[in-house]
Amino acid sequence: MTAITAAATAGASARRSKRRSMSRERRWALRWSYFFLTLFAMFFLLPPVYMLITSLKTSAEISAATNPWWVYNPTLANYVELLSSSQFLTYFRNSAVVSTVVVAVTMLISVPAAFALSRMRFWGSATLATGVFLTYLIPETLLFIPLFKMFAVFGDATGIQLINRWWVLLLVYPTLTVPFCTWVMIGYFASIPRELDEAALIDGANYRQVLTRVFIPVALPGLIAATIFAFTVSWAQFLYPLAFTTSTDQLVLPVGIITSLIKGDVFNWGQIMTGALLGAAPPLLIYAFLMDYYIAGLTAGATKG
Amino acid sequence: MRGKLTRRRFLATTAASTALIAMPYVRGSHAAGRLSIGFWDHWVPSANNTSKALVEEWVAKEKVEVLVDYIPTQGQKLLLTIAAEAQAKSGHDILALSTWLPSDHANQLEPVDDIVEPLIKQNGALNATVEYLGKSQGRWIAVPATIGSQIKGPCSRIDLMKQHAGIDVQAMYPAGAPPKAENWTLEAFLKAAEACQKAGFPFGIGLGTTPDSVDTAGAIFHSFGAMLVDAKGNVTVKSDPVRQALEYYTKLAKFFPPDAPAWDDASNNKWLISGRGALIMNPPSAWAVAKRDAPQVAEQCWTHGMASGPKGRFAPCVPYFWGIWSFGKNKDAAKSLLVHLSQPAAIEKLVAASGGYDLPPFANLTTLKTWAEEGPPKGTLYHYPNPYNHQVLSIAGAPAPPKIAVQIYIQGVMTKMTVRHLQGEPMEKTLAWAENEVEGFLRT
Amino acid sequence: MADAVIGQVTDRATARPRRFGLRSAMRRKSMTAFLMTSPLILLIALLVVYPALYSVNLATLNRSMEHFVGFGNFLFLFNRETFWMVVRQSCIFALTAVLFKAIFGFVVAHFVHNIPAKGQRKWRGMLLVPWVIPPAMSCLAWLWLFDPSYSAFNWVFEKFGIGPIPWTGDAMWARFSVILVNVWIGAPFFMIMYLAALKSVPEQLYEAAAVDGANFLQRTWYVTLPMMRNIIAITALFSLIVTFANFDIVRILTAGGPIDLTHVFATWAFRVGIEVGDIPLGASVSLFMVPILTVAAIFILRDINRRGNEA
Repeated sequence: MTAITAAATAGASARRSKRRSMSRERRWALRWSYFFLTLFAMFFLLPPVYMLITSLKTSAEISAATNPWWVYNPTLANYVELLSSSQFLTYFRNSAVVSTVVVAVTMLISVPAAFALSRMRFWGSATLATGVFLTYLIPETLLFIPLFKMFAVFGDATGIQLINRWWVLLLVYPTLTVPFCTWVMIGYFASIPRELDEAALIDGANYRQVLTRVFIPVALPGLIAATIFAFTVSWAQFLYPLAFTTSTDQLVLPVGIITSLIKGDVFNWGQIMTGALLGAAPPLLIYAFLMDYYIAGLTAGATKG
Repeated sequence: MRGKLTRRRFLATTAASTALIAMPYVRGSHAAGRLSIGFWDHWVPSANNTSKALVEEWVAKEKVEVLVDYIPTQGQKLLLTIAAEAQAKSGHDILALSTWLPSDHANQLEPVDDIVEPLIKQNGALNATVEYLGKSQGRWIAVPATIGSQIKGPCSRIDLMKQHAGIDVQAMYPAGAPPKAENWTLEAFLKAAEACQKAGFPFGIGLGTTPDSVDTAGAIFHSFGAMLVDAKGNVTVKSDPVRQALEYYTKLAKFFPPDAPAWDDASNNKWLISGRGALIMNPPSAWAVAKRDAPQVAEQCWTHGMASGPKGRFAPCVPYFWGIWSFGKNKDAAKSLLVHLSQPAAIEKLVAASGGYDLPPFANLTTLKTWAEEGPPKGTLYHYPNPYNHQVLSIAGAPAPPKIAVQIYIQGVMTKMTVRHLQGEPMEKTLAWAENEVEGFLRT
Repeated sequence: MADAVIGQVTDRATARPRRFGLRSAMRRKSMTAFLMTSPLILLIALLVVYPALYSVNLATLNRSMEHFVGFGNFLFLFNRETFWMVVRQSCIFALTAVLFKAIFGFVVAHFVHNIPAKGQRKWRGMLLVPWVIPPAMSCLAWLWLFDPSYSAFNWVFEKFGIGPIPWTGDAMWARFSVILVNVWIGAPFFMIMYLAALKSVPEQLYEAAAVDGANFLQRTWYVTLPMMRNIIAITALFSLIVTFANFDIVRILTAGGPIDLTHVFATWAFRVGIEVGDIPLGASVSLFMVPILTVAAIFILRDINRRGNEA
């Protein structure tokens, strides 16, 4: 945009014809952009749309193998069945509580840690920063057995039951969310000019104030991004809840849907797709709301340079 | 109180170990406490209610608090639970254990000879496969369960088999009467498979590594007397029976659907329900779902026995067990509950609730009403529980020592061999590969 | 905005007595730093490092977990043809998937960046959907789309006379499908990271390049890519690690089949460790990933640091 304005203010006729060709070029660029974006959007949205279509079909229609892209006898029976089952609502509630608490915990741990690691040079800060990232190298499939054993021992020793209780997830999910959120925040904090916090420190503020008054407002897009990430990862977790929770009233949504709708070798695809959509709805909704803040943060960050 | 129980248990276990005719287990009347049991999560919606009701019956008598969980096999949840609980030495008191799990965890399971021996006397003999899987070093380490136990025999389309293969399955296996299946040999099976595939309705048998596929391959191998590892633990891959079995199965596999190597346990169900196949090897779950979703297919289904090979007629079976952890805190109550669940009255209720899917492992209980009456078509399940004992129930990998057989089973060595040979690998190369794989399984 | 904030802080600060002195300031700083990072250190030490060490210990035991065998499990694995097949498959899978995710993300980010600002919001929203849906749920949808009997794709292709494609049945197609789903799920993440980075490239640089007569491709090569280097490297590294360790997608779509040709480390470890019951061997397979990933991580991080010092 600035290029066109600059060209316009230059003013010679040669420049005028150049401006015209630039707008044409710009228009073609726009058309191609929209064309490809539509293609990509179709590719990205195809599975959710198909999930929706299948969820509106009865079992009989699915088995009959008619046109899979069209619903001949649409029915809301799958939705009604799931939404009115108390089991499903329990799964939903468990997921919501766990995800929200984990996001809060993650932020409380990550933000101060990222601040300390990016701003305060202390012994071992570089190693710790790299080390935090390397925790992703240890896969869940490896960790869940020792963790199970640790929790069982803890439960026996203190009487606080951890196994097969949804609150055990509050302990394990942060191991997945904290490292990346810390890294994202270190990145954002690093881009904040040192002059800002040095000025605040000279004026006598202590570190806590620098963090809360200076950094957090400025690094808001990074914080929102990290929050979205933490929530999405927590909501989507499958292996840890599968391994640690068994009773139906302790399950979270992804595990609950899959284990209650797929039994033995019997798949009920209509209900499964309904459950999958309902399971994906909360992150989609929250993300839709938070996206506005995220965008505002991004664009503000861009003009800041 | 504690002392009393300990003494009585001591007496009970001494009696059990000194005499084969064990004293039937008698529970002290003052037991209390808590118990937790993890049942296999049944796919038939109402079946879980029946098992829960049976437990509650027992609770009313014994006044023990019981926590009942239903654990699905989906996502390997059952496996994960068992592995984790074994490691942590903490968890449910009783767990459902499928096929290989009792022998996998034999050293952490409470011996249950004192329950099983009396049950055998009461309910009839147990077949050799159940003994192979449920016993370790001569002692029963888990109680054979009804819930979940199944036979994966053929379930055919009456109309398609008659029309394209010229075989009348209802005449071969009439409801209410002994089977007339002398001509139902593997050669006939092969011919029928070819005819149906040419007619556009191939047999839906998978070549993947999930149990449905492996079980069928196992039955075929047993029909030739082929084993990859013998009972003593020697590798016998490069033997003639194995070559014959592999050659036959590869010939048969040419008539399977082209993506059979990627089939999972649900693929053959879908194959039958969508009307595309003339035969699948599956317990009645496929037929039951077809009843609901595709009734015109369901009323043409007939479950019957397997074809016979040179060394006999073998059908794949999947026994389930109930195991009691030896680190459990209330083993007496656990044993009492399991005895209650294994009474003929209880078993009959469980079978009825599952629509005939669950198979009691005991010989006297293979002719319950449910199988005679399930339909449509009526009698479709009559021969499902092998009531005339005319086929041998087997499991792929047997008679190798269970710790080796489980690896052959889970890794699907037999189906992989078939796929490799089917896709062009020379037989000797396939056998060499299989031998290498199996040798890797021998490590302790 | 920053000035207002500083103004606030200064006002408050002047009301309090100032503590000077280098030493007390240093002590305060490391104390505060320690307090601020201690929850992080505690979390990682207790719930990641300790279990990981326990797993390392597990990997040195024999199958029945009664004897110590040192590197025995690893030596056994090195002799297995299947193991090396899994190594190869994991590497190809991770590298291909990350490459395509990066390309897709980069291209889409450019297009989104190109359109007027107010339209960007809804496009961005639509394009991020795959990443927001829990992978366990979307993999089910893909499984259903690839189903041998009921595939919606095959139904459409059939109308054009293209034979039924064995999406998960044939080895090459199965590999393609797994990579496809991985790219579908992961590309939006790349897009959003690259978009943020694109927005922070100053316009003046593009103008200068345009004045110098650079066309679009040259502008991208000489202006965009160098400015985005750090973000590209970090996102690629993170994605490489996560893709390499991926479990859900392969597990749900193919479970490693057919004949083990789509197994990656995590699914193979699960098969060998949990399903077969040889937990130490499963732990060994999982642990083998760690050196590979550490090497990759060190290279890329060193690269970032070096460039950071240059800049």
